[in-house]
Amino acid sequence: MKKRKLSVIKNWRGRFAATGLVLAAVGLGTAPAHAHGFVGDRFFPPTIATDDPFATDELLLPSISYFKSPADDGPAVGTTDLGFEFDKEIFPKFALGISGDYLIQKPDGLPSAGGWDDFSLSAKYQLWENVPHEAIFSVGAEWDIGGSGNKNVGADPTSTFTPTIYFGKGFGDLPEALEYARPFALTGTLGEDLPTSAEPNNLNWGLALEYNLPYLQSEVKDIGLPAPFKNMIPLVEFAMSSPLDRDGGETTGTINPGVLYENNDFQIGAEAIIPVNHATGNEVGAVVQVQIYIDDIWPKIFGHPLIGK
Amino acid sequence: MNMKNIPFPRCGLAALLFLAVQSPAWAHAFLDHAEPSVGGTVTNSPSEVKIWFTQKVEPAFSSIEVDNAQGKEVDKKDVHVDAKDKSLLEISLPQLPAGTYTVTWHVVSVDTHRTQGHFQFTVK
Repeated sequence: MKKRKLSVIKNWRGRFAATGLVLAAVGLGTAPAHAHGFVGDRFFPPTIATDDPFATDELLLPSISYFKSPADDGPAVGTTDLGFEFDKEIFPKFALGISGDYLIQKPDGLPSAGGWDDFSLSAKYQLWENVPHEAIFSVGAEWDIGGSGNKNVGADPTSTFTPTIYFGKGFGDLPEALEYARPFALTGTLGEDLPTSAEPNNLNWGLALEYNLPYLQSEVKDIGLPAPFKNMIPLVEFAMSSPLDRDGGETTGTINPGVLYENNDFQIGAEAIIPVNHATGNEVGAVVQVQIYIDDIWPKIFGHPLIGK
Repeated sequence: MNMKNIPFPRCGLAALLFLAVQSPAWAHAFLDHAEPSVGGTVTNSPSEVKIWFTQKVEPAFSSIEVDNAQGKEVDKKDVHVDAKDKSLLEISLPQLPAGTYTVTWHVVSVDTHRTQGHFQFTVK
């Protein structure tokens, strides 16, 4: 997730950039990618607006979102974001990734423009797991490569590093009296932007709360859900960014309710994007994302580290 | 690395989606349904536990264990994949007294992906 400062934008051309900044702030600029993440019995699905704690082979293609940034000193800008991410497990529990977003920006009353936002490289390591308690903790970092995107859509000419911690917790260990709460799981991230320019440092925090219907059916109680419902995971995500210094303004972010559908070879998910305040946006956006399970489709190539076992 | 002029890779996307659709359905084996059913209650002691998975499983690396409420294994330790349906894993049971039993399973699908799970059923 890339977060940058909004107040530096001064003109309509800059508004293009502002849209990118808001999208980044709400977690859409770099869509996270994930594949099959297990801790014991628990399968944690790839989430859309927030990253998960797993370092696995992953291909996110495509992520398509639309969100309209607020009008401040220029026209409001609607942005369609076409994103991808690819991650490869290099060593056991350690993965490297690359992601990019093609932005199509349309300011009210002005022509549209398209171009790539800055590309990002990432690294993640699964540090700790507790199988009986379905818990996982990981560390990682992301490098927004300054100048790798197009200036006309506001790609930042300077780089930003974001060290991040990740966690996941399934509630399959709840007592029998709370058995219908056992399908719940929570994942989250906490990271700080460290820009190489004079932009503010931001604290990026995200949560994803999900109710795993396949888990309900296979671990708790077969309530006879028919397809496609038995393969669905309703969830709500919170993707937030809080400036820490340099007059960075107020916290921005979105609340994203939605649903994921699991298939043997892919996951498709859809969420609404609800801004938490006017600084984030005034209209509800939407995102649709396809996660291709490359470890299942091409098991001889993916699903295992390049080096080690 | 100059990426500024790269068009959005529509062709690559279409090719990947085509390959995904055309590829064989090898995948992780998840529990589809079971007899006795997950979390279910039966009035008579079942003669076996059957678990249907979403994929074919490898017999040599797949197991089921059925324990009583005290944690003691009560199955007949004859777990096997059904001869006609390679996605069905079964294990025989003796006559079980009333109580709650825990089924623990580990399977490896035919593309070597491992999955595991457990559930309970009750005999009245």
